[in-house]
Amino acid sequence: MNPVLQVRALERRVGDVEILRRISLDVMPGEAIGVIGPSGSGKSSLLRCIAGLDPISGGEVLVEGKSARPGDGAIGMVFQQFNLWPHLTARDNVALALKLVRGMAAKDADAKAEAALAKVGLGALGGRKPAALSGGQQQRVAIARTLAMEPRVLLFDEPTAALDPELTTEVLDVIRALAASGVTMLVVSHEMGFVASLSTRVVFLDHGVVVQAAPPAEVFGGGGEPRVKTFLKTYLDRVAWTKDA
Amino acid sequence: MIQALIDSLAAAAQGLPMTLALWLGGVAIGIVAGFLIGALRFFAPLALTWPLAAAVEAVRGTPFLVQCFLLYFGGPFIGIDLSPVVAGLVALSVYGAAYFSEVFRAGFMAVPKGQLEAARMLGLSRPQTVLRIMLPVMALAVLPSLVNLAVILIKETAVLSIITVPELTFRVQGVGSATFAFAETTLVLALVYWALTEATSWAARGLERRIERRMAA
Repeated sequence: MNPVLQVRALERRVGDVEILRRISLDVMPGEAIGVIGPSGSGKSSLLRCIAGLDPISGGEVLVEGKSARPGDGAIGMVFQQFNLWPHLTARDNVALALKLVRGMAAKDADAKAEAALAKVGLGALGGRKPAALSGGQQQRVAIARTLAMEPRVLLFDEPTAALDPELTTEVLDVIRALAASGVTMLVVSHEMGFVASLSTRVVFLDHGVVVQAAPPAEVFGGGGEPRVKTFLKTYLDRVAWTKDA
Repeated sequence: MIQALIDSLAAAAQGLPMTLALWLGGVAIGIVAGFLIGALRFFAPLALTWPLAAAVEAVRGTPFLVQCFLLYFGGPFIGIDLSPVVAGLVALSVYGAAYFSEVFRAGFMAVPKGQLEAARMLGLSRPQTVLRIMLPVMALAVLPSLVNLAVILIKETAVLSIITVPELTFRVQGVGSATFAFAETTLVLALVYWALTEATSWAARGLERRIERRMAA
């Protein structure tokens, strides 16, 4: 089987600062890659470079063997801030690109949008504007909007960082269901439990370098690199403190 | 005194259509020209648009009264010989365009970058993104400022009396000059302008509420 996504010696520099240093990663069909690491380690930059939203200084990104660029349908991206268009209903947010980019007839695009919304549990709310939806619902609309275009790879850039714990759960459940249905994805997240249970592989990034890329059992089960262990210990200490308090 | 008030009101009624016509004309031309200037300054490179920027700054940096004088009394020296009414409309439109252009430019800048990136990832072309995403999002953001500015322009029309445009202030001041009842005539003027700005603000608030309700549906 050939990888869907190939990242080869990807580099990103801004001035003298090296944001990403020769990152290579092959993602097989149906894989869910969890990307973790401290703030400023380059997680979001990695996703934005793969998406083509940030320019790369070296290396290449291939989807099914071809170099990808934003908007060619190969890669879909879900953002931390949802980025729904506020003047359009949930249905129109999903249907707009189907009409304008795919050239679908309005009726077909609407039907497909409704189906995508139903898939993320929002079948009844298609007529609402983003302002009338909760944060979790907005993020699920954003997922449906990306999903409807049927990208080969789906990128999630901290999809729950702007949500409270309750709303986080509903969004994570949707992402989990997508992964279970075989959608190839890369997920940047600080939700360690989620990353551990979702991922086929976990990539730990620090200072723009892949410190470890291994199955979650290895990374979270004590077999991690020293830097990874330190990071996870800080995280687990915080969780423990929360439980005590 | 009562007679002076009655005369002032009659004069106000005579001048009101001119004031409203100039205001509506100035606002309409100002919004269209302001949108074009604002869009050019946002989308085109600075190397091409700096003369526009300089012109906008010049208009914003000088009193409206001085601009009216320059156009009406200075215009003939460079072959621009306009009647008071046309000069008044041009002055008000230019003045409005400068301020409206800044509102539109700020509106374009206020469109969240992420919403444009989402459009890019989904494959919308640049023109599609501008027409379907940027303009509607921008329009919502600038609406209150546009309305506010339009209301301010009602009051600016009074300045046009100084170049003998027969509008509200000019007419009512005529009564004052003829009767020396300056207090009464000025009081009437103040009340009429106040009523006008209250009425437009009230209508504008209704419009904003309607749009807000549609957005929250």
